[in-house]
Amino acid sequence: MNRSIRIDPITRLEGHGKIEIFLEDDGSVKDCFFQIPELRGFERFVVGRPIEELPRIVTRICGVCPACHHLASAKAVDGCFGGEVAPVAHKLRDMYYHAHYVHSHIAHFYALAAPDFVCGPDADPMVRNILGVVAKVGLEIGGQVIRARALAQRIQEIIGGRATHPVWCVPGGVTKGLTKTELEEIRPMVRELSGFADFSIKLFREVVLGNSAYVDLILRGPYTLDVQNMGLVDDQNAPNFYDGKVRVVDFLGNEICKYEPREYHEHVAEHVESWSYLKFPYLKKRGWKGFREGIDSSIYCATPLARLNVADRMATPRAQEAFDEMFQTLGGHPSRALLANHWARLVEILQNVEMLERYCADPEITSDRFRVVPERITGEGVGIVEAMRGTLTHHYTCDERGICTSANLIVGTTNNNAAIQMVTKKVAQTLIRPGKEPDQGILNMVEMAFRAFDPCYSCATHSLPGEMPLEARIYKGGELRWHFSR
Amino acid sequence: MKTLLLGMGNPILSDDAIGVRLARDLAAQLCGEEGLDIVEECSVGGLELLRFLEGCDRAIVLDSIQTKGGVPGDWYHFDAEALRETIHLRNAHDVNFATALELGRRLGISLPREIHILAVEIEENRTFSERMSPALEKAYPEISRAILEEVRAILGLGEPRTERESDSAAVSRASRVLR
Repeated sequence: MNRSIRIDPITRLEGHGKIEIFLEDDGSVKDCFFQIPELRGFERFVVGRPIEELPRIVTRICGVCPACHHLASAKAVDGCFGGEVAPVAHKLRDMYYHAHYVHSHIAHFYALAAPDFVCGPDADPMVRNILGVVAKVGLEIGGQVIRARALAQRIQEIIGGRATHPVWCVPGGVTKGLTKTELEEIRPMVRELSGFADFSIKLFREVVLGNSAYVDLILRGPYTLDVQNMGLVDDQNAPNFYDGKVRVVDFLGNEICKYEPREYHEHVAEHVESWSYLKFPYLKKRGWKGFREGIDSSIYCATPLARLNVADRMATPRAQEAFDEMFQTLGGHPSRALLANHWARLVEILQNVEMLERYCADPEITSDRFRVVPERITGEGVGIVEAMRGTLTHHYTCDERGICTSANLIVGTTNNNAAIQMVTKKVAQTLIRPGKEPDQGILNMVEMAFRAFDPCYSCATHSLPGEMPLEARIYKGGELRWHFSR
Repeated sequence: MKTLLLGMGNPILSDDAIGVRLARDLAAQLCGEEGLDIVEECSVGGLELLRFLEGCDRAIVLDSIQTKGGVPGDWYHFDAEALRETIHLRNAHDVNFATALELGRRLGISLPREIHILAVEIEENRTFSERMSPALEKAYPEISRAILEEVRAILGLGEPRTERESDSAAVSRASRVLR
């Protein structure tokens, strides 16, 4: 009889996810499943409501990335009302979103990714956390992290009125512009964040790249996948988080397709597996080919690294330098080294702060023409933005009164569902072998595989954790033989 | 003494709304109490909570909880120490409550000396709905009354309990103080 290891719930992952690893009798990994429950009924919840209310409702889908949903929804609703948007509103939304990115990426890097590198992937779980990071790199840096997040949050509040549940985007624009006084308040904050972005790259260089074992882990460890890449790009094929076309590039760098958001259904379809609550998006024109790597695979990643993989360049100069350094170290562009997602986040933060600097210098940003009031209902819209953790699609239809008749959402992490399954299994198979029993260190290294994706599943629920220890159980002959938890 | 009362949860995710709903009801009852700030809807966690808690002497957090074998409608009164055991549980994008508090304290942020977590056992938090599950909806008036009484006790608003309230079987059955 096969043995199984169960990790339930997953540390650092919201919601009640679990990894089940099934072992052969000799201790090698037979199979590995990554399962999470899904929040239900959102698409049904919004049908029958005035379509312009949706950007204000969708922020409740997720407490982690409400701005992503707010903006994707706003763009879909713009489409339902004919698509005309005040140009400065696009700029303000983009500016807000760059601040949101900084806020989110900082948390992931310092609280979630850094413990694996600063404290070590097999360090005692009691110290492998942000407290351990601060103990090693110094309290002062901990204070800077908190301050940088607060600044990014404050910038969002100033621009959009609220940081967490914005009610700011309306069809054709936004409800408030940016005054000159507000802009003056933002400027020094952006300068400070800009310095923090440089500091973070420098820290990564020292702590991670300065350790050959970590470089080996990134480049030659099992954390690689031969699958394709997806991300939004601008006209110059530079990453654009708020707007643009979706570009898909294979892992050798060849463009597979580039499409407008409204064409998404021609390019992406979703596969269903009986053992998973979540669907598995794939490249529709290639057809579902299973959980397979290869140049003809229809599986793709939509992650920070994938966004840089589909980009020919960055949109700003300092980010470009960091982009060049990163891909040079990784052995060329594009890269399949999934742990480099942590590095890619820091490169993205550089573009975020440089774009904020650009907007601070833009004389149009304080314009009071921040909305075009729509005069017609056209009935359908698709909004795509790059959520921090993947391409986010909102597709709505409404009737002639503007009442929502359908909604379809493909959320960020879902894009990566197949890739997460594949790399988790790959890492488990590499590390858990006959004669090598799993321990906390190995289990953490399995978790590192999906942590690179910054997965987000059930962010809208805030129930206290209750009895949720991380536990691993090994069964043999149907009986529990070994059990540990943390 | 500055006290912050936080209603945690998602108002459109079935029973997950209960913290928000309780905070709204409590706000109606307790508005005007000196030194009491109420945030009726707070949906952030982890490091972000430090922003809310900074500068407060006392915090009362209203939230939902799911425990093994828990009965929907039961409610518990924890202090922050009771959550310490979960310090190494984290969510995907942030640290957990206890870790955030510990980090904040190490960084010298002025945080409440006294933290009360009132958590109601729930049944359903996976389906989007503006209504709570029937069991919780039915129990809600009692829960609301009991939580109000508990909050008043925490605040030191020593109004004597009525006989009906103190003898309420429902309240004594529902409340488990876990300190």
